[in-house]
Amino acid sequence: MSRRAYASLGAVLCALGVVVVASSSAHREPPSPLGLPEPPPPAFRIPVPRPLAPDRDLARWAPVRRATTARRAPGADQAAVARVDARTPEGTTNIVQVAGRARRAGGRLWVRARLAVLPNGTSGWVPRRSLGGYTQVRTRLLVERRALRARLFRGGHVVLTAPIGIGTDEHPTPVGRFYVRNRLTSYRSPAYGPLAFGTSARSPVLTDWPAGGYVGIHGTDRPERLPGRVSHGCVRMRNADIRRLGRLMPVGTPVIVR
Amino acid sequence: MRIGALRLSELDRGGAVEETASRAGALTRRGLLGGGAVLAAGLAAPAAEAQGSDEDILNYALALEYLQAAFYTEAERLGALRGAFAEQARVVGAHERAHVTALRDALGGAAIRRPRFDFGGVTEDQPAFRRTAVAFEDLGTAAYKDQAPRIRSRAYLAAALRIHSVEARHAAWIRRLAGVVPAPDAFDEPLPRRRVLRVVADTGFVTSAPRTSAFGSPRFTG
Repeated sequence: MSRRAYASLGAVLCALGVVVVASSSAHREPPSPLGLPEPPPPAFRIPVPRPLAPDRDLARWAPVRRATTARRAPGADQAAVARVDARTPEGTTNIVQVAGRARRAGGRLWVRARLAVLPNGTSGWVPRRSLGGYTQVRTRLLVERRALRARLFRGGHVVLTAPIGIGTDEHPTPVGRFYVRNRLTSYRSPAYGPLAFGTSARSPVLTDWPAGGYVGIHGTDRPERLPGRVSHGCVRMRNADIRRLGRLMPVGTPVIVR
Repeated sequence: MRIGALRLSELDRGGAVEETASRAGALTRRGLLGGGAVLAAGLAAPAAEAQGSDEDILNYALALEYLQAAFYTEAERLGALRGAFAEQARVVGAHERAHVTALRDALGGAAIRRPRFDFGGVTEDQPAFRRTAVAFEDLGTAAYKDQAPRIRSRAYLAAALRIHSVEARHAAWIRRLAGVVPAPDAFDEPLPRRRVLRVVADTGFVTSAPRTSAFGSPRFTG
């Protein structure tokens, strides 16, 4: 090929190149008239909003911020049911389990609360402002006296099953719906094992017991006696089981004894 | 108490929020709530470490989103709202929870922990809810507006603006439901962080955890 032919071929290829470049640039975004850079992509993504999960396994509790009087119905002029202290006998913040919706009476909101008083199962209306913020739990402890067994449920599923000791016929473990009020650890009382939960249940017979005869759920130094009817009303567990329960069961958990 | 163009007292005619604020103030003065420390634990502590960094700004946004998400979630759970207010709480609550998830994911291990809240009854009484929701949405919008120009990373700014406009829509929605003009001014003013924190602290909605554990010997029936 002559030098002239090479020159002609080069000119044709250059022309083709210009056409290709021009045609590819036609598919790009038009440049900003102000010459601004493209906006950066967001650094994080907002996920799809999700509705709340069903709450049939939820229970709600609130701390007692100031001592008050529980009443039979919403309103300061209603009959008194019980005194509600701000502290438990163990020195922790007293809590109540919230049952149902608040109601307005006398210009104030009132909340129905399950109370840690005798007779067991008592509830009453307390001013909303005497309580602190609500906390929800998804756990529930079922104490089965006939089977001498406790089962912890979370979100409706069993997460722990343990053999238990319960009260004797003379000092029975009370039946009903209660809740965990507090949790004690690092004490030197081997009979209670390494950990003890206080509940809202009270012994109906040991009313002169120190601190009021509240029923606890705790470990033991006599594991060979479990399962059995061996206590003064408390629910006893083997120490390994109460430690597991301590990891799984938050304060405020409903306790159903049947 | 003034939030942007909005006086909280103008909306809070029943006094629910102001009552809660005074209660919190009284408790704080008596040392029962640990003073402003309960709020500082959630907001001011990270601010003290690296105020003005993008991470600090995102944590500040996260704290406000925690507050809003908890407010709407509790209102929905308690079931005291009816009609359009229940629908607003359901939709906006899901948005606020999504904002929390996004900010927590973006911050990873640097994300502040969720504070505890005590809404003192405003989530279980529709008139009190309405007033508080208006105030919260205006507050959130004004807070984002103040922080946006301070964000250094344009990618973070792009993400934050996606939230900011949604907060403004929430504000317009609840204002409409509350019978308040949705867009009263041609220009919205930002609200500095110091004032936002003071408003939130005054409500008493951010609280300390109750003491439910102890080390004493049990005196249960045994």
